[in-house]
Amino acid sequence: MNKDFFELTNEQINVGEVARRIVPSECGATVTLDGYVRRWTKEKETLYLVYEAYEPMALREMEKLIARAREKFEIAHVGIVHRLGKLEIGETSVAISVSAPHRKAAFEACEWLIKELKRTVPIWKKEVYADGEIWVEGENRGANVN
Amino acid sequence: MKVQVLFFGATADAVGEREIVFSLDENTKANEACAKILEAFPKLQRNFEKSLLFAVNQEYAKGDETIQNGDELAIFTAVSGG
Repeated sequence: MNKDFFELTNEQINVGEVARRIVPSECGATVTLDGYVRRWTKEKETLYLVYEAYEPMALREMEKLIARAREKFEIAHVGIVHRLGKLEIGETSVAISVSAPHRKAAFEACEWLIKELKRTVPIWKKEVYADGEIWVEGENRGANVN
Repeated sequence: MKVQVLFFGATADAVGEREIVFSLDENTKANEACAKILEAFPKLQRNFEKSLLFAVNQEYAKGDETIQNGDELAIFTAVSGG
């Protein structure tokens, strides 16, 4: 039974609820990344963030990401939820949960997933400061994503 | 032929549009289509140089694929989700 899931939402993310959606009987642990909005970036204070997505393509890329993670790591299930819209400091922007029979694979897969999500999924973050705002450009500069 | 071109985030701000209809010659390749769009919106090339990514029908463009009438193209800056 496929319990993987990948979603975009405008609502607050309940990280515990995301993690608990993929507890399968053959595993003993789920590793979860809770990525949230930081207040300080390079000594600039953020007031809030805005996330925007190319939604249908973002969902396709998230699905592909999960398939690649399955090829690379011995994992059971993956859940990814990314929030869009305006986010306040401390709010969760992305939750990635991975369950696996052995926790090493779950830790490695989770780290790999956030790194690859940040490289390939068409979502953009706008930082809003007291004195201005800027769309953050990712590290991946025109490289062949696949 | 006509295609849809979508802009997001910084590219939408630079161009002042989120979605336009764009005319291309038949048998235009993805690379050529991208170049035509940058010609039409020089602010994109000026502001973002090498950071632009190009998608065709919700897949990252390879460059040599042929664009079809009605295709959905998108130009955006290097992604920054997560």
